[in-house]
Amino acid sequence: MPVRFLRNASELADVSWETPLPVQVANAKPVPADTLLVATTTVTADANRDLLGSAATELPTLDGCMQYRKLVWFYFRASAADTTYRVLARATDQNGAPLGAGWQEIAPATPLPGEANSWNRIEIPATTDGYYDQYRIEVRLTAGNSYTLTSKIVGVR
Amino acid sequence: MQPKVCLVLNNLGNFNRAWTQILRNLGIDYTLCIATSTTTGANIQTPQGVFSPSSPDLRGYFRQFDAVILCENTNNLASTSLINYSVFWMGWNDPEDPAFLFFNPHFSAAIGESAYNSNFPSDFPIVRPNPSDIAGTLYAADGGTASSLVLGIGITGGRGACVLFPAENIRAHVISICSVQSNIPYYWKLDTAKHSTLASTTYTHRVARNGRAGEILAVPAPPTSSEDTETYPADCVVAYRYRNSFWLPAALHRRQDIADDRNPYLFWLLYGLQLAGVRPRYKLPVQMETDHPLQAVGTGAPFNHAITTQMGILEASWDWMRDFARQRNTAIVNGLVVGTKYRSTDVGYHWNLLYSTSRTQAERDAAMRVHQILVAGHREGTTPCGVHDHTIGTNGYWGGSTAAGFVRHSGLRYGAPNDVPIARGRCCVAPHVLPAGVAGADAQTVQVGDTELIEWDIPTSGTGTTFDLPAGSVHAARIIIESEIEEMLALGFPDGYCGGHKYTNTAANNSGGECYWQALKEFGFRGVRSAPECNVPYRTKCVTPNRYWNGFHLVPHKNLDNVGDSYSLGLYYPDAPAERHAVGTYRLDHSGDISANWTTQPVAAWRAYRRVLCQLMSRWLSTTAVALGGAYFHPIHCLMPVSPSRVLERFDGWNILNAANQPHYNHAVELLENMDAVVRLLPEYLYWGTITDVMDHRERVMGG
Repeated sequence: MPVRFLRNASELADVSWETPLPVQVANAKPVPADTLLVATTTVTADANRDLLGSAATELPTLDGCMQYRKLVWFYFRASAADTTYRVLARATDQNGAPLGAGWQEIAPATPLPGEANSWNRIEIPATTDGYYDQYRIEVRLTAGNSYTLTSKIVGVR
Repeated sequence: MQPKVCLVLNNLGNFNRAWTQILRNLGIDYTLCIATSTTTGANIQTPQGVFSPSSPDLRGYFRQFDAVILCENTNNLASTSLINYSVFWMGWNDPEDPAFLFFNPHFSAAIGESAYNSNFPSDFPIVRPNPSDIAGTLYAADGGTASSLVLGIGITGGRGACVLFPAENIRAHVISICSVQSNIPYYWKLDTAKHSTLASTTYTHRVARNGRAGEILAVPAPPTSSEDTETYPADCVVAYRYRNSFWLPAALHRRQDIADDRNPYLFWLLYGLQLAGVRPRYKLPVQMETDHPLQAVGTGAPFNHAITTQMGILEASWDWMRDFARQRNTAIVNGLVVGTKYRSTDVGYHWNLLYSTSRTQAERDAAMRVHQILVAGHREGTTPCGVHDHTIGTNGYWGGSTAAGFVRHSGLRYGAPNDVPIARGRCCVAPHVLPAGVAGADAQTVQVGDTELIEWDIPTSGTGTTFDLPAGSVHAARIIIESEIEEMLALGFPDGYCGGHKYTNTAANNSGGECYWQALKEFGFRGVRSAPECNVPYRTKCVTPNRYWNGFHLVPHKNLDNVGDSYSLGLYYPDAPAERHAVGTYRLDHSGDISANWTTQPVAAWRAYRRVLCQLMSRWLSTTAVALGGAYFHPIHCLMPVSPSRVLERFDGWNILNAANQPHYNHAVELLENMDAVVRLLPEYLYWGTITDVMDHRERVMGG
């Protein structure tokens, strides 16, 4: 016995993929932002280490990001030890393969802002819009002892 | 026919939002009208135009409503105007006219405005209060002392009143303040000759239930004991119907900011609406909760109750409460202290009372008798129990960043020796942006609400039982909640969430946060009771503003204990810290009229009894009607002041003494019986329901 509902003023319809039950979204508002990453990174002097701890230079930190105009990187750093960050980005084809080797460096190695036990925020890209497919976000200790960096990245459409 | 009322107020600056919150909860449509001044010369601004208060146009406008409510009141009888514009409406008495509800109305003899006085009905039977002749025009209520807090705005400092409703033949404790002067509450004085004439005059209107023009609705209830010398003359009234106008005590606080559960007088709003024939779309479910239904406290002075005595008090009281719930078709839901099977050696808690070898066999047997009532009540639906865990870290869910030395259960999915996640992974990436080949071998999908992340490099428990548990993750929440439910099952309960209600009252009202709500949903919960700050003392998280998270309810809480700290020493206890007795906790010792007279005047105990019941009944009713929340008390903490040999006796002043030679008082029996009287008085507005009814109703009227 199919489930039927009043599709409009006079038409009864069976529930199906084509004619699903009408629903009203409750307790949810469209939010143009998604949580993309939460990570705890041990910041070391290793070269090319990204937020996920990977030193494989071709591996993105985030993929499939074309829908996002910006990435907003929030972080809490446990130390003020000298650190740089670098942001790489690139586009892919419809199969997800990078259009070419290597990366576009959209933020060159830059001192990571913030004191010990401080909250900070960086927009990626810093200016204009993103819409890149892949990003690689690297952090590197340039002086002092390794420490913990806790990050959250939100994608904004 | 849609119920619809009109609220008339002088301005929105001090308009208590609870007026409209209650109406929304009841499904009663409302319109706000603003008077441009306080005098008879005011204009009434309505959505359909601005009308003179005496105009036929306004009268016609009002006729679309079931009732017109006058919202303003004052604590100054010397004021010369407040709602003078309403005097014309007392003469609009045709069957087509609506009912007019006046709450603590200002009709003082100090009003000199000639248009008011010349239009005031000459046959109106309540004597107009005269600030120059208080004794000749009003009756001082509740001992006649000045209040410890400003009357009409405080959330404690309630005044006592036991009111008799002659038509219903019901007595109830409801705070009743007809007039106020110098911070003293008063009842009204009736002109008996005028009343007699009205009471014998035929009058036809849908609200005239006796078919007469005048009707006494409520009077101070006569004492039930010779000790209680607080009596009132026969011409003293608390509420009166004059034709289609209802003269009622204050209904809501004169405050703007409290559309919540702190409106102590709102009984009178509900009663007035019912009398006015306003049939709400929805009735409100009344229900009671307890925390720690089986627990023991100290055995020392002043009561020196042995553990077996305490268990006897609980057994008798729970047997009575279970029977009460059965007869009223309600469910008293209980937050049962768990965690003590694994994480606490406190022999006052549930598991240890039943099974600890530190307890004597007689003590364990006595506790088991209480426990069996709860289990049987859970299975039949009268006393359903849910998890309530004070043993995690600091207190309740996510009360600290880490639960040091956490001890978990054995078996099931998250118990020892299973090696399970205990914190979020070092890396967490949303699946739609997760690069191929990045995730670690231990990757797993974790969803909390709308957010789904792939986690890897996840800290795990190992095979051991004891470890430091980071408290702020869904993994921790799962371990904790499963251990709690395992303990409930071991105690003989079929579940840990109050049976079909799928609810529990959280320990310390800490519901944790999204990760705990997610885990609770996974274990089948529909909602929990929660404070606005839901992980005190860590204080990193508040509940969602609408208290409804992805279909999960975060029900507001309200404590109804008769004590502020430790266990209660009674209604009042001389020389004890204020927080150890009810009078001190709720600041009910107005002008010292209880403390100064406690040992010399028996009436002081009755005064304390009335005030405590009025204060706590009002908190309960506010929680029911405004916040749609859960009110609760801690049984043994509140029941220590009973007489162990006469546990279920009703309060009778100094005629029944407890073990400390103070007046016996059973908080459970008194609270429930008094609320039952209120429910019987308000059959159109209240019914004994369950927490399921509360959550259903929240969904109905609060939306998404």
